Amino acid sequence: MNIKTLRARFPIFQKRGAKPLAYFDNAATTQKPLAVLDAMDEFYRTKNAPVHRGVYALAEAATAEYESVRDHVKDFINAKHREEIIFTSGTTASINIVVSGLAEAFLRRGDHVLVSLMEHHAMIVPWQAAALRKKFRIDFTPLTAEGRIDINTYKKLLLKHKPKFVGVTHVSNVLGTENPVREMVFLAHKAGAQVLVDAAQSIAHMPVDVQALGCDFLAFSGHKMYGPTGIGVLYGKKELLEKLPPRTFGGHMIEQVTRTKTTYAPLPEKFEGGTPPVAEVIGLGAAILFLQKTGLKNIQKGENRLAAYALRALKGVSGLPLFGPFSAKARAPIFSFTIAGVHPHDIATLLDREGIAVRAGHHCAQILHESLSLDASVRASLCFYNTVQEIDRLVNALSAVQKKIYG
Amino acid sequence: MDKNDIYREEILEYYRHPQNYGVMKHPTFEAEAINPLCGDKIRLQLKVNKKGIVEQVRFSGSGCALSIASSSMFTEWMVGKSVRKLRTVGPAEIQKLMRAKIGPARLPCMLLSHVALQKMFPGDERND
Repeated sequence: MNIKTLRARFPIFQKRGAKPLAYFDNAATTQKPLAVLDAMDEFYRTKNAPVHRGVYALAEAATAEYESVRDHVKDFINAKHREEIIFTSGTTASINIVVSGLAEAFLRRGDHVLVSLMEHHAMIVPWQAAALRKKFRIDFTPLTAEGRIDINTYKKLLLKHKPKFVGVTHVSNVLGTENPVREMVFLAHKAGAQVLVDAAQSIAHMPVDVQALGCDFLAFSGHKMYGPTGIGVLYGKKELLEKLPPRTFGGHMIEQVTRTKTTYAPLPEKFEGGTPPVAEVIGLGAAILFLQKTGLKNIQKGENRLAAYALRALKGVSGLPLFGPFSAKARAPIFSFTIAGVHPHDIATLLDREGIAVRAGHHCAQILHESLSLDASVRASLCFYNTVQEIDRLVNALSAVQKKIYG
Repeated sequence: MDKNDIYREEILEYYRHPQNYGVMKHPTFEAEAINPLCGDKIRLQLKVNKKGIVEQVRFSGSGCALSIASSSMFTEWMVGKSVRKLRTVGPAEIQKLMRAKIGPARLPCMLLSHVALQKMFPGDERND
């Protein structure tokens, strides 16, 4: 994998200057390669038509291309059936479909669901909102000092509360921890619970195989895997999706509408009411192709090297507590930290002056921050197109921050 | 250095040594504001005399250099002002005090103490 040639495929990095862009906010959204931009542009220029409707050649071609991406996604995450792939607007929408549907159809007063303390708000707030209506309980799996799931307590909570559903993130968007999802699914199934996996932070960094993980539902976003915003995927086991009620009602998701009653279309249409984001689906297909051509194993290898380098370099900055696993193994290249006496927002603004883009705040994980006794942190999230030179710039700029604030 | 720089020495000095920082007992008015971006919280307290003039102001909480320095400057400005004036003052006053160019992403940090003031006296007509 040649970083230089790969980097050259991302137009945003072409801008030169005294302080070129060092982009470390990849956990929020990744930059887009030319292949994705071109595919979407070409679709609008030459192939644009409504899908699933028109009987003319242009519409049929658009539909075929749109539906071919479903097969592409199915192969990419190794799903069993193409109708197990639902296009949504992103991870948040995918999780909302599952959670609100499960709550409506299966959860009753006194039931339990189990999530972890490191979940993104997208895996917490939908459960909380549903729990207000259906009066079920939400329990939290605690973390170890290193920021990993405390698997022994997880086992105990499964036995104690017999949760109907478990929600867990594949990779933490703050700590970078890769969770043992396969083991957690195995244990949950043994205890009679179904599992929803948030793969937003893993999908662009490691091979994700839904059959190997064994999970019941899995959600991810296009824009965190070099694709466009506004498109995401919900995977669900066919027999479970069939039992799940639809969430968006309207065009395309119906079988028959009469004055008194509507029957719904089969999968996947049942969950895809309204005109879908066709160009974004095409863009997602191009992003998956980009990942496959580059090779997720290659990407993982390169990112592991970067993570090990960043971990060593950041540990060398004085007064910088770093959260998450101590070793670069079983870890995505996501690093959250603070600097003693300097607010994360000030750090982010001062780094921006050096052309370095990081995130400051609670990263939609307030419960995790509270458990770390923090209001906020700085997050540098890397991916394969980052370089060791950029990490050096980050570390140098961080070292200068304290001096700037305290003189 | 740019004299309108948000990290100029004058502002950093306010951050290192904030004025009116602390908690008072028995305030006449009290309110809290939260910055949803980072969870920073600020508590604003006023002691007002019978004539409706602010005699003492205290603010407390955690915050970045911008929120602490601007709260410090803004609470200094409040002392001696009438409650009537505080009911109408707009966020532009803080910008005037800070004399700083600031982007939309960090603006909520700078205006946090004004949000607390708005919560203290909700529904008032304010200048912008």
